[in-house]
Amino acid sequence: MATILETAASAGVFNTLLAAVDAAGLRQALESPGPFTVLAPVDDAFAALPPGTVQTLVDNPPQLARILKYHVIAGSHRHAALIAQDAWDSLEGAPIPIRSKDPFEVKNATVVAPDVECDNGIVHVINRVILPG
Amino acid sequence: MSTTTAPERTKAPLIPPSTHRYADVIHRLEAGGSMLPDTPENLTQIIGIYKAYAVPMDFYWRDLLYIAERVFLNPLPAFKYFISKEYLERPNSYAGDQSPLRIWRGTEKAHPELLAFMERGETRRLPKLLHHLWHDRVNMEFAEACMQAMFWHQGMGGRFNDYLESDAYKANADRAIKAYFKGNPLMLGLYALFPEMFLEQVRQLSYYANLGLFWEVMAPVFFEMSDIYDEGGFKGVPDAMDFLVNGIFAVAGRPIYHHVFIDGECFEIIPKNEGFTWLYEAALPYVEAVFYRTSPFRGTKSYNAQAGQVPSDQADFHYGILYADVYPVGSAGIPPTLLMQDMLHFLPPYLKEIYKQHRRRDEDELVQLGITFQRSMYNVTSAVIQALRGALLYPLDDNDSNHLQANRAFFEAKMDRFLRPEARLLDIQTQDYR
Repeated sequence: MATILETAASAGVFNTLLAAVDAAGLRQALESPGPFTVLAPVDDAFAALPPGTVQTLVDNPPQLARILKYHVIAGSHRHAALIAQDAWDSLEGAPIPIRSKDPFEVKNATVVAPDVECDNGIVHVINRVILPG
Repeated sequence: MSTTTAPERTKAPLIPPSTHRYADVIHRLEAGGSMLPDTPENLTQIIGIYKAYAVPMDFYWRDLLYIAERVFLNPLPAFKYFISKEYLERPNSYAGDQSPLRIWRGTEKAHPELLAFMERGETRRLPKLLHHLWHDRVNMEFAEACMQAMFWHQGMGGRFNDYLESDAYKANADRAIKAYFKGNPLMLGLYALFPEMFLEQVRQLSYYANLGLFWEVMAPVFFEMSDIYDEGGFKGVPDAMDFLVNGIFAVAGRPIYHHVFIDGECFEIIPKNEGFTWLYEAALPYVEAVFYRTSPFRGTKSYNAQAGQVPSDQADFHYGILYADVYPVGSAGIPPTLLMQDMLHFLPPYLKEIYKQHRRRDEDELVQLGITFQRSMYNVTSAVIQALRGALLYPLDDNDSNHLQANRAFFEAKMDRFLRPEARLLDIQTQDYR
């Protein structure tokens, strides 16, 4: 199996996310044994944000890291486990609500591909960048 | 030859109409509109006042940062409004060619109308001290009142306020306090005796920095809106609101920090790497503290707190611009009046023309522009509501009825805050309210 970042790189639809992980200096952390549960927004999700949003974040790594950490939960949690709870604490600190079990929705994003197994955790592919608050 | 037109197909709504008292406004928000009705005059009024607001704001943000970063703990800050050349010329981080984010086209320099006013005021070219004492100047007291509202209400989301209580913050502040008063045994002695008092002053200065960094962004946004309008670029109020929504997203990740410069050395009281952002730690607390809450202004109306006329819960305070009765507020020295006075100096001619046609014409311009300002801030608040809906909820054209219901509940909860009788939401629905 591959790590979370290797899996994302081979999928080819997470280019913005991977660039953001590098800009925020989170690569090393996400390559550690973890395990992590990563809610990974596809490139289209980042592209849907208004102009300048991503650039301002990429220019400011600590702020970018904060937003990215909101997409990560400590531990390895599959779909079945995630929907058993109303909300999960993100690494950013703010909770991520599980708003719908079927279809599987985390906050205002829909999970388009759950349970992608990796060496150091699990990836759930989402269609929207989620934001704390 | 005759043509037939197919009957227009209307999509059945996925959710039933709202039964909220402000259902009309909610349906307008759901259609991508603003709380402020889309009329040509509303567009003219709000853009005109954004322009008049942006000019003094260009001074407010510069001086707020000057006070936070340079004046700092000066025990006799008599000259804190005498901004240094460096800060007056400080390039705006979000305008000008040096800006990493070139979204707004304005320049990084202080606005020429501001510079002209600082030189001549309402009177004539005089030494700066005379302009100051005659109060012929930009009313920084208004900016400080906004800062104090944020400082006093605290805990309005974001993590800024929690950080001000942390050990890391206290250690950073301690280093800066000791460096600032180095060689001053009197102040160092007072600090040893009353450390919390000094710390509380530094916390307030951190809010100066917070608000300065917030407004540094808003000034070029408002200038640009005025330019676009002058070029005929906005078709209606929703366009103006959408411009603000995009602006909110564009700079949402801007760092909020507090640096102090003492003898050429930078003390990072709140470092950028704490991860504080413009949206969560500045914009949202600002809107809550200043638009909704603030506090009763002295000299406007008497309240009997023991009779429950002032809410016991700060979250229920409702003395902000969205609730203001502009008429009695328009008295000397009241913070919103200070702002109105500041904006009066920079009204575009088309707005002055509107005021001349109504009420007491030139005589009550301050009140009329105050109500225009109220309209414009309902539009800014609409932008914030739509931005939050976009960030936390669902697109307006979503096909899932559960999502639309979630948007509905969000909008209704926002409108609940205007159910109290002081709210001006109903007043701004008509053009008669002036």
